[in-house]
Amino acid sequence: MKKGKVLVGVVLGIVVVVGLFFVNKYWITPATTKAAKASGEFPQAPQFQLTSLSGEKVDLQAYRGKVVLLDFWATWCGPCRIEIPGFVQLQNKYGSQGLVVIGVSMDDGPAPVRKFYSDFHMNYPVAMGSDKLGMLYGGIFGLPTTFLIGRDGRIYAKHEGLTDLSFFETEIKELLAVPPDRKVADFKTAGYTAAKEIATSTPAEVNSVVPGVDVSKLSPAELKEFEKLLTQQKCPCGCGFTVLKCRQVDSSCQMSLQAARDAYQKFLKSHHG
Amino acid sequence: MRLIAAWLLVLLTAGAACAGGPPEVVSAKAVLATDAVHPGQAAKLAVLARIEPGYHINDHKPSLDYLIPTRVAFDSAPILKVEKVVYPRGKSVKFDFLDSPISVYEGQIRVGSLLKVGADARPGAYTLRGTFRYQACNDHACLPPASVPFEASIRVAPSSVPLKPANTEIFRTIHFK
Repeated sequence: MKKGKVLVGVVLGIVVVVGLFFVNKYWITPATTKAAKASGEFPQAPQFQLTSLSGEKVDLQAYRGKVVLLDFWATWCGPCRIEIPGFVQLQNKYGSQGLVVIGVSMDDGPAPVRKFYSDFHMNYPVAMGSDKLGMLYGGIFGLPTTFLIGRDGRIYAKHEGLTDLSFFETEIKELLAVPPDRKVADFKTAGYTAAKEIATSTPAEVNSVVPGVDVSKLSPAELKEFEKLLTQQKCPCGCGFTVLKCRQVDSSCQMSLQAARDAYQKFLKSHHG
Repeated sequence: MRLIAAWLLVLLTAGAACAGGPPEVVSAKAVLATDAVHPGQAAKLAVLARIEPGYHINDHKPSLDYLIPTRVAFDSAPILKVEKVVYPRGKSVKFDFLDSPISVYEGQIRVGSLLKVGADARPGAYTLRGTFRYQACNDHACLPPASVPFEASIRVAPSSVPLKPANTEIFRTIHFK
């Protein structure tokens, strides 16, 4: 009897995992891709200016017209370390055709990154990242997270976690084949893309006193009133904080973000019509 | 397989307290080896950490110099001094992204601490707070270093009141020497 229950549990478990696999493969991912296209476009890559470990300016705008592989990584991340020799290869192979690899390290300080850069003979710019930069790119929750940006400055793919080099190569070739003045039609992701739209934020949202909500339309008095309003609302995520506090201590929380955005829309409507 | 692993990461992410943020993959609590402690005497405390299935955290003494060690840290407490922290031995696991196995913690682990209660500690209830610091990965991605707080309620009893053993099963597995 007990054995039978265990067997049923195991079979159910297998059915759930297999079900998730097919849901992902045939339903969610195509739907997401479709949604991204139907809603207009793949998102524009948020601009940033950083300084590389060697002191050079890394300005994303300056790479317009090129295909950019933007890799968020860290030296303490094993899966990140294994991907990097492949990125060095890709830079060597496709650099002359217009590929630029940019590494953004999420380490706390540059010392281990400099050592790694030298030990691994990295041949592309690496700069130190920040949570704010991560927020611009929709929040970097796990490493590695890699974005592929087309010549037109749009993000065409986001890969979370260790990804086969061949997937990157297929996507890079596809993006390199499109001239800078043309849109990438029917871009097909070669590998796994997160089952959600590629979300980005604006600098006004990231630098806001209510992280994630662009409050630039509010006067100083209105902003104070809006902040007060958010301190009166309990965050729906269960953290125990108010919506404002939750936004400030955990800017990655999507539930407080939605609550704050909803409150902002209502506030804007009541104050600005 | 990697696709399924990635999907599981997404699902775990969705299940985080604040959905959409990094998943909280470790929880921790602290327990004492006795129902109370005596002024001027030693006491044993264990931090019990639970690591979500599918994830691992690094050994306190990591196999590779670039890995971030697991650490238990205590806030300063006026009546207590932490004299020793004893970490369990990790499990040797081989991951696809490494050439050789590394020592990691998975599942549930117990970190022991030897405390010394101040001789002048007055009988009463106290709280000892601390943090369990870790950096977690699964077999294809890593989460940023994180820490989870824990606290232990500690009752200082007069020396004349005998102490009762508590959580004996837990402390039997921790080797303080």
